[in-house]
Amino acid sequence: MQQMVSALRLLILPCVLMLSTTSQAALNVVTTVPDLAALVAEVGGEHVNVTTMSSPDQDPHYVDPKPSLVVALARADLLVFNGLELEIGWLPPIQTNSRNAAIQKGGAGYFDASTSIDVMEIPVEANRAMGDIHPGGNPHYLYDPRQGALVAIAIGDKLAELIPKQSSLLRKNAQSVADKLKALAKEQTDRFAKLSPEQLKVVTYHRSLVYILDWLGIKRPINVEPLPGIAPTPRHVARVLGTMRAQKIKVILQERHYPTRTSDTLARMTQAKVAVIPGGANYNRKQKELYTDRIRRTAEVIYAALSR
Amino acid sequence: MPMYKSYHIERPRVTTQSPSVRGGFQRFFGRRSPALALRVLAALGLVLVAPSASAQTADEAAAQAPKAAAGQTESNQELTERVKALEEMVELMGSVQADVPAAPIKPAKSKQGRPKATNLDIALILDAAAAWFSSEGLQTGAHDPPDTGFHLQQLEMSLGENVDHLFELRANLVFSAFGVEVEEAYGRTLALPGGLQLRAGQFLTRMGRLNATHPHTWSFVDQPIVNGTLLGSEGSRGAGVEVSWLSPLPWYAELIASATEAGGECCAKSFLGANDLGVNSIGDFVYTVGLRQFFDLSSDVGLAWGMTTQQGPNSSGNGNRTEIYLTDLYLRWRPTSNTARMALSWTLEGMMRRRQLPGDLRVDAGGYTQLVWNLNKTWEMGARYGFVTGSPDDDLVPEATDDRHRVSGQVTYRPSHFSRLRLQGSVDNPLYRPEPIYVGMLAVEFLVGAHGAHKY
Repeated sequence: MQQMVSALRLLILPCVLMLSTTSQAALNVVTTVPDLAALVAEVGGEHVNVTTMSSPDQDPHYVDPKPSLVVALARADLLVFNGLELEIGWLPPIQTNSRNAAIQKGGAGYFDASTSIDVMEIPVEANRAMGDIHPGGNPHYLYDPRQGALVAIAIGDKLAELIPKQSSLLRKNAQSVADKLKALAKEQTDRFAKLSPEQLKVVTYHRSLVYILDWLGIKRPINVEPLPGIAPTPRHVARVLGTMRAQKIKVILQERHYPTRTSDTLARMTQAKVAVIPGGANYNRKQKELYTDRIRRTAEVIYAALSR
Repeated sequence: MPMYKSYHIERPRVTTQSPSVRGGFQRFFGRRSPALALRVLAALGLVLVAPSASAQTADEAAAQAPKAAAGQTESNQELTERVKALEEMVELMGSVQADVPAAPIKPAKSKQGRPKATNLDIALILDAAAAWFSSEGLQTGAHDPPDTGFHLQQLEMSLGENVDHLFELRANLVFSAFGVEVEEAYGRTLALPGGLQLRAGQFLTRMGRLNATHPHTWSFVDQPIVNGTLLGSEGSRGAGVEVSWLSPLPWYAELIASATEAGGECCAKSFLGANDLGVNSIGDFVYTVGLRQFFDLSSDVGLAWGMTTQQGPNSSGNGNRTEIYLTDLYLRWRPTSNTARMALSWTLEGMMRRRQLPGDLRVDAGGYTQLVWNLNKTWEMGARYGFVTGSPDDDLVPEATDDRHRVSGQVTYRPSHFSRLRLQGSVDNPLYRPEPIYVGMLAVEFLVGAHGAHKY
């Protein structure tokens, strides 16, 4: 009897060990944009294996829904996306085609990051005559570390839900990331507050920088695009030129994934400078930039442009 | 930090916040209990030696600070110190911003936009064209402009929503001058184990690349001649079931198998077509089996390859059958770092049909190839060549006694993502006609409603 029990123990122990190692295997997280990947990686650390479906040089509205993304989603335990209809042009069919129950709407691994933030610019009426507007509000909140802090806490909760063994550690990680981001936000707010009001004015390309401008206290009287999503027209460019001259705006601020031709022309005619900020974190197979570093990098570019 | 935590938990997740929510101080003290403000002041009173105005609130102190700065230096210093200490207290409690007077008025912040009554996605897509033909047209697609004049090609209503946690419903209704038609209406599973997916209802079969798509995604106003001739004027579609399997291979490889009704000249032309003999055995359906693969050649280049076959009974009776074999290639170059959204894509589809007839075996072939260049998000250009064989005594297309070739070119202008203007010219050369047919078309397309997702 004793020998049988010890024999059983010998058999069961490796099985238990195997089970415990598989349950500690990293959670497969797939995000739509690299900023979310960087944030999830910063919160989850070694407990998550994060991949992103687009690069920071791509406009996140218009990512090709390649079938290879379907394969990535089929293996995902958690899908983290920006929400507010940013990915509505390409995510839903690849999500359905992945046949992955966890990441369908209502599944355990379906996480809309926009449910945790303070949304800005919710339109009273969403009519496409006003351009390509997002009816839920402005979706470009990931540029703002204050919103990033809120997302970090929510991601911590979600990861804790999916990895119960590490829940307290993940929540603590999330809180420390959020605190770091809030401190960074305050630091930059103070730094930019020292600039004069004449310096704190920019023109942006697309209506996508409202969260950054709100964070750093910068005013933006006009965009290069006449309406969101509509290419610059000659009449509107003339209007922008007039505004830049009248208000002595010396900086055109835009993300790398927008064309610079019109902005360069405007800059040349007004002795202004085009400041290009990264559209997302450098998060890919080779490089794993932290979200905090990416925000700092963006703030440095903007500060350098405004303070010259 | 108890106040900070409870603040976050209590923050409502629906849009009920008043528009008066502003920066740090007011958000923290203005709508919170006055007892808190008093407690902070009491603490401050202990910290500072200077006499304090007992009835002052934190708001007034901060508001007074800039005014006091214009006053005498000594009182100025006192007030500045007190404001500084207050700010530090507030920071300790976790507030974010201190510059209340300078903060611009922000629009109402709430967690999400207005919740919708239903999540049913409805889109309406209108396709209309003005066409000119130099002689009698030979268009093969049911929604191709057929002759000189103005044409409502179709008004497509595309609907879809998740039914429950297991299924989604997708439907496509087509309104045209001929009435309403259910183009597609099916339920599809969301997530079956083992990478499987099922569709049941009426649908366009996944025969090649173009067949399962709708005209608003096409790069040309009309269908390639091979699709209309071999598959049907509405493409290959029917009521039935489809099962597909996403393989666990590291690249995208999907196996598809479907069984659909073999009748209908519009939709199963090479099979029972107009002469629907009914279902007398399990073999009397159109069986479509395909393998679709995709390869990421680089981060900017993708290659999709499909091989599909259709088998089914044909209308000549006697258990005669038709087989169609199709292969398709799609090569797309989209430099991800290009800010203008430039892309170049090349498509090739080739079909071969073997049809058993009494005492005969007819073989027909056809195909098309097209090159489409999206210069940027506004302009697009394309060129297409298509051909289909023909031979005398073809019972399906009696007039087509010889081969037919067609070359088309298009220029497209997109003022926005939802409207499109396309100019297309074609030279259609059926060898059984004395001279080629020259065609010019100007087509418009408008989309309203739910933003449909793009296919690759």
